[in-house]
Amino acid sequence: MSDDAAPDTGAAKTPADFLKSIRGKPVVVKLNSGVDYRGILACLDGYMNIAMEQTEEYVNGQLKNKYGDAFIRGNNVLYISTAKDK
Amino acid sequence: MAEEDTTVKEPLDLIRLSLDERVYVKLRGEREIRGKLHAYDQHLNMILGDVEETITTVEIDDETYEEIIKTTKRAVRFLFVRGDAVTLVSPPLRT
Amino acid sequence: MATNPSQLLPSELVDKCVGSRIWVIMKGEKEMVGTLRGFDVYVNMVLEDVIEYEMTPEGRRETKLDQILLNGNNIALLVPGGMPEDTA
Repeated sequence: MSDDAAPDTGAAKTPADFLKSIRGKPVVVKLNSGVDYRGILACLDGYMNIAMEQTEEYVNGQLKNKYGDAFIRGNNVLYISTAKDK
Repeated sequence: MAEEDTTVKEPLDLIRLSLDERVYVKLRGEREIRGKLHAYDQHLNMILGDVEETITTVEIDDETYEEIIKTTKRAVRFLFVRGDAVTLVSPPLRT
Repeated sequence: MATNPSQLLPSELVDKCVGSRIWVIMKGEKEMVGTLRGFDVYVNMVLEDVIEYEMTPEGRRETKLDQILLNGNNIALLVPGGMPEDTA
């Protein structure tokens, strides 16, 4: 057990597991440009293309825009994060 | 009406449901366009009609060092958007 | 000669970091530290209790995040064990 690959986690949480667990939840999507999108994750695909609802666009922490639905192209995504409040 | 599947199972369904509607597209380099979506593919290459393009540039004034934000608009009858420049697509608000 | 039995594949090294702190240095002025929960063939990574560091002209900006999926596309370096001050 000592040189097991995953010492303190029962099962590793792969990106696919993570994506399954956050559907329908509030998320923050950060793009490489530094822009943040906060909203409800509707769905995503293997390219990290994302469909979001009630999307708010933040530039330097300031709300710049709101979109009912938004499609975000996966190649620009830096990370997808869980969000507590929304 | 009956044939159209209105469920969103994958992100590109959102684009499919916006066909023949006016969409807002954000592109790299602070470019924004609005136009009627005529066609798209899996790369998000798009054909848009009756397009209004907005280009925003920020310049620093040489003397006062103030940021000058300029927006330029132009109208294009028809254009092809290369998918890799796209960062965000928003369909019109559905009521 | 074709295969070196002592060789540790890069992905095996990353696999050994699952469950531990890891320091991720991105292309560009950005770094992240978090607990690695898992990863895939593109080295997209699930990280927990993350601190994101952005180097801006005004200084280092920190953002705390609970759980993220980090796109592997912009990763430059991985340092097992986290940041030096993080582990100390």
